[in-house]
Amino acid sequence: MAHSDFTANKADRPFLVSRPPLLRRFSESWSSSASAGIGYLVLGIIYFPILWLMILSISGEPLTGFPGEWTLRWYENMFFGSGQREGEAYGGDFNILDPLLLSILLAVITSVACMLASLAVGSVLPRISLRGPFLMTFLMPLMVPGIVAGMSIFLFFRIGLHFKMGLWSLVLAHFIWAFPFALLAMMVVASRFDQRLLEAASDLGASKLERFWQVEIPILKPGIFAAGFFGFLLSFNELPFSIFMRAGEITLPLYLWIQSGAHNTSIPLIFALSTLITIASIFLTFIAIRVGFSEKK
Amino acid sequence: MTETKAKGSDGAPILEVVDTTHRFGEVVALDNVSVTARRGEFLTLLGESGSGKTTLLRIVAGLERPTLVGRISIDGDDVTHTPANKRNCTTVFQHYALFPHMSVGQNIEYGLRLRGESKGARRKSAERALDMVRLTGLYDRRVHQLSGGQRQRVALARAIVTEPAILLLDEPLGALDEKLRVDMQVELKDLHERLGITFIYVTHSQEEALTMSDRIILMQRGEIIQEGPPTDLFDRPVNQFVADFMGVENLLEGTLEAVSEGLARVRIGEHFLTGIWSGAEVSAEGSPVCLAVRAERVRLSNTGGDGQDDGINRLPCSSGVTIYKGKYVDRTLDTDIGQIKARIWDRDADLVDLASLWWRQDECAVTQMAAGGG
Repeated sequence: MAHSDFTANKADRPFLVSRPPLLRRFSESWSSSASAGIGYLVLGIIYFPILWLMILSISGEPLTGFPGEWTLRWYENMFFGSGQREGEAYGGDFNILDPLLLSILLAVITSVACMLASLAVGSVLPRISLRGPFLMTFLMPLMVPGIVAGMSIFLFFRIGLHFKMGLWSLVLAHFIWAFPFALLAMMVVASRFDQRLLEAASDLGASKLERFWQVEIPILKPGIFAAGFFGFLLSFNELPFSIFMRAGEITLPLYLWIQSGAHNTSIPLIFALSTLITIASIFLTFIAIRVGFSEKK
Repeated sequence: MTETKAKGSDGAPILEVVDTTHRFGEVVALDNVSVTARRGEFLTLLGESGSGKTTLLRIVAGLERPTLVGRISIDGDDVTHTPANKRNCTTVFQHYALFPHMSVGQNIEYGLRLRGESKGARRKSAERALDMVRLTGLYDRRVHQLSGGQRQRVALARAIVTEPAILLLDEPLGALDEKLRVDMQVELKDLHERLGITFIYVTHSQEEALTMSDRIILMQRGEIIQEGPPTDLFDRPVNQFVADFMGVENLLEGTLEAVSEGLARVRIGEHFLTGIWSGAEVSAEGSPVCLAVRAERVRLSNTGGDGQDDGINRLPCSSGVTIYKGKYVDRTLDTDIGQIKARIWDRDADLVDLASLWWRQDECAVTQMAAGGG
């Protein structure tokens, strides 16, 4: 079927006018289904293992890799601890309460620190002339591998300054890790902040403090919220820094890592725990989006 | 307000800016400028971008600290070193600068909230201000739901609700379309009369300045070139720059022959023309001058002739390009001293077989060349 058919004598063969050549139709539909296929494949690779893990967490024999024999036993054991019951293959000494509380505490402190620091930096950066280089400097830690950064901070404080590691060093490490992300989230909002609004506020009689509270903070609020959210989530899931800075403290991810590496009988509980953490993270993200980014009506 | 009136009775100017210089690095934005404004005056700062008019306004508002300053006083109070939030004046910004996180009502009330007024009183004043700018009933709207013209009115309401001694307007109509701009000019003028507040208005549009002002200050490169009522700037430009800026179509360069009884005789090529001397001080004979005549003053004739008789300047001419403008016709006429534009409002006055053009001597101005040749 030649292209010239398109123009020649439309009245005689009207059906030709609306239909492209067969080959092109085929290649178009082929390429679009191929890209759709790749898209679904990627989604599958991301979500299937997570779904699989959730399903296994309510299965009786998760280590076989096949679901079935539905039960909430692992959840029960996780919280109400356990001791190995008679006739059960798994269970054992599993106590997540301390690591969970420590991780939540760390995450809350990191979150608040990220909010305050990114507000301070984010409200000043757009006003100064060297904002580009400064922002790059603040964001550089993103490119340093966590394990390297963790080790260097550890060596500096422990070996260099002879500080004793502890909760403070975990907080510091988590802040160092999370702050660049928090600042980035803040800058999305802060870079769009119209500095002229501050002039307008002054002009109407606002002192520096009043215009900060009544104009700058409310407008930057989504950025502050996003910074806190990133601070919380990144701290809660952080592992490489914690390994170095923990000094005997055990965070939840660290606990998970240790347990899953150990050849003991509590592994099935990890399925349950991971499921809970995932659901909690999704829930938190959902709340954050609803509260922080919704347009006030 | 009662206090303001009491202060006003001594006739002191409501604004005094004395010997103000401002530099941005090497650039001199304001060069030793002094300005005063009478109580209740509509004063316009007119000039091109970069003339220093906005800088002067920002210095009055307190948003810019001048490099050198003699004194700034507003309503009798010395505010030379007073920050912006303590000055008794408010600004309507070109970009409106409405707070996006507040409703229309909250925006308008913001100044009153800072002054500690009660919620009820605030609301009442805000509603009244909304009525005044013809936005009745929009109290609860969000700012992003408003059109450009409405935002402009909200900015205006926000600025007048605190009853400042001076209202500063920084090209407030610059972002509006033509039709709305013309309507707003009338409304602003009306608002000025109703409120009795002193308006200081910055614009680059000579048309806006002429329409609204009691007095115009024309600025160029950080200096005041001419100030006076609109008719002065329109009909009596002190130099060629002013004439050009005020839209005079025909600027004829020549040499000054003589000045007597306010009339200046100018030699342009082989012709002698006469006009009213409007330069600041009378130039020496033989110095270069500019004769400025508006296109609508130029009339056509089918009788030939040359020279001056009965208070008339006459030049032989031949027809050039004609442009139809709807309400009028613009004709470019060729003379032996260059092209002259004539604006014909009356169809019957338009001639096909024209031989000369003429205008009255008292309807044209002879003025100095622009300082620095600009």
